[in-house]
Amino acid sequence: MIYGDKSTKVIVQGATGNQGAFHIDLMNRYAEEVGGFGVVAGVTPGKGGQEVHSVPVYNSVREALLEHDASTSVLFVPGSAAGDSVMEAAYNGLELVVAITEHIPVHDAMKAISYARLEGCSVIGPNCPGTLSPGELKLGIMPVNLSVPGNVGVISRSGTLTYEVVNELTRAGIGQSTIVGIGGDPIIGQTFVDVLERFEQDSQTKAVVLIGEVGGNLEEEGASYTDLPIVTYIAGVSAPPEKRMGHAGAIVAGGEGDAASKIRRLEAAGITVADKPSDIPRLLEEML
Amino acid sequence: MKLLEFEAKEIFKKSGIPVGIGFVITNPDEIDDRINYMGGEVVLKAQVDVGGRGKAGGVIITDVKSARENAALLFSREIKGIPVEKILVEEKLPIENEYYVSITLDRAKKEPVILFSATGGVDIEQTARENPDALQRVWIAPVLHDIPPFMMRRLLNGVPKELGPVINSLYRVYCESDALLAEINPLVTTPKGVYAADAKLIVDDNALYRQGIEVNRDLTDRERRAEKFGFSYVELDGSIGVIGNGAGLTMSTLDLISHYGGKAANFLDVGGGAGEDRVCNAVKLVSEMPGVDVIIVNLLGGITRCDEVARGIVKAGISQKVAVRLAGTNEAEGREILKKQGYMMLDTMDDVVKYAVSEASL
Repeated sequence: MIYGDKSTKVIVQGATGNQGAFHIDLMNRYAEEVGGFGVVAGVTPGKGGQEVHSVPVYNSVREALLEHDASTSVLFVPGSAAGDSVMEAAYNGLELVVAITEHIPVHDAMKAISYARLEGCSVIGPNCPGTLSPGELKLGIMPVNLSVPGNVGVISRSGTLTYEVVNELTRAGIGQSTIVGIGGDPIIGQTFVDVLERFEQDSQTKAVVLIGEVGGNLEEEGASYTDLPIVTYIAGVSAPPEKRMGHAGAIVAGGEGDAASKIRRLEAAGITVADKPSDIPRLLEEML
Repeated sequence: MKLLEFEAKEIFKKSGIPVGIGFVITNPDEIDDRINYMGGEVVLKAQVDVGGRGKAGGVIITDVKSARENAALLFSREIKGIPVEKILVEEKLPIENEYYVSITLDRAKKEPVILFSATGGVDIEQTARENPDALQRVWIAPVLHDIPPFMMRRLLNGVPKELGPVINSLYRVYCESDALLAEINPLVTTPKGVYAADAKLIVDDNALYRQGIEVNRDLTDRERRAEKFGFSYVELDGSIGVIGNGAGLTMSTLDLISHYGGKAANFLDVGGGAGEDRVCNAVKLVSEMPGVDVIIVNLLGGITRCDEVARGIVKAGISQKVAVRLAGTNEAEGREILKKQGYMMLDTMDDVVKYAVSEASL
């Protein structure tokens, strides 16, 4: 539990769209299952007064917070308006925004994340699946049926690849403390380092799986930060230079961030790198 | 999307960054009287998106009299394999000194970083490697509209102050154009002032909609069709087609193919919650690529419904082999549909990839 627990109260911005409504339902079903509060209010400008799966919708974050107590927002607002929504949440004193939205212009993300930091608000994402602490709290869109509670923290830049790894862990009898998808964009709020800092403070987490991708150097920076036992996997070993592999961040440019040199740097720092996702459980077991 | 030099210079001009007098031609006969206002010599610059254009023969300096002849020569060339369709005809600037300036994204600091060097016209990556001290860097908080004077002094480090306003204008262009990279190499001083002798702008694909750009030129036709369907799609040159959901999982599938000795033909991420039609479109699109023997469909997740996926695969009805790995909602129904039609179903990512590699020609 590094981003909240059963007692966390959540609002959803972009509540009335397909994605927003669908995931309010899933988040609240999970909250019911584990005995948590879940989503207490939704926000969509111009749609105040409606209900989505029995959750009341307000025109603004401010109006929602006048009626409900909440610390966290999950964002399903379209890319063109998502930067603004992050700033709205931060301005109104929320502690955490989980931005699921993809295709946010980079300049908007930069500005919004920079502003949120000034307001003391943490941002997970954008372009991420959110976070799940099995048995406690789901913020975002991760499927819950693949995971079981346990002691391994999972941090990843990908969505479905995370599910793949969590599935492998669960099948091998290794439970998870918190799973965090930090997002695949070039500019993201919570980085590997930020999440690892939280894992270090978390008494439940005994080891960490870090799933990275080509592009940038956030994985190396993160992995060398922690004293926790750590297994990494880097996707994109076969990615050709200058081709963007889906995630805007996953691009090998100017000889920087290619998987081979990333893996070399990680191994040089004494960090275990798995060749393929299915090797991760065995490598973890050897460590624990 | 990368803008060509003349497009970037149009934007520069509007933002008060001086550029040389010039015009664009698509054949040598379009050189007209305008050239007589450019002095004795002009520069012909091929408008192609390649680095090291000058060294590759993409720039010709000529006197006005031979301009047409030299333009014909330049049009006949290929610059690093790219045919020349447009030429920028520009006055030859009386250059005194050359500098380098660029603004790009520092992902780790989550801020724009401005790079400046007192030597321009160079390969900046080489300068960064061989003489890192020659490169000045400052980071600017994205909430600032202008580069503060102290930061500019630090960046310029004693170089003529008149470069300051141009660099500040470039920062504004960077912000207002949703640029991922704004670069002037070289930025030059002349007796008549400071000029951007070259111009490079890369616009964020996610912001094209508000930059008035309707068609992303950087994509192939198939890639553009894929974009319309909402897929992330990249063409490679192997024989195994790949369809996955999520960038990471799809990339990882590509890696496994290479791990087991195969070659992927493409990267296609169908995105979250793909239904019957999306899957059908994806399978068809990949099957149309020349040289694809077998297609892997590797879909996993909570939103994606396996029965829909299965129906999509069946509906596409392609001639190549399809190897499927499905996990998620309605998995049993999906398997049933595919089994009836005789499709190859495998349980894990490793298995589906191994199977496809064994079926593909190398």
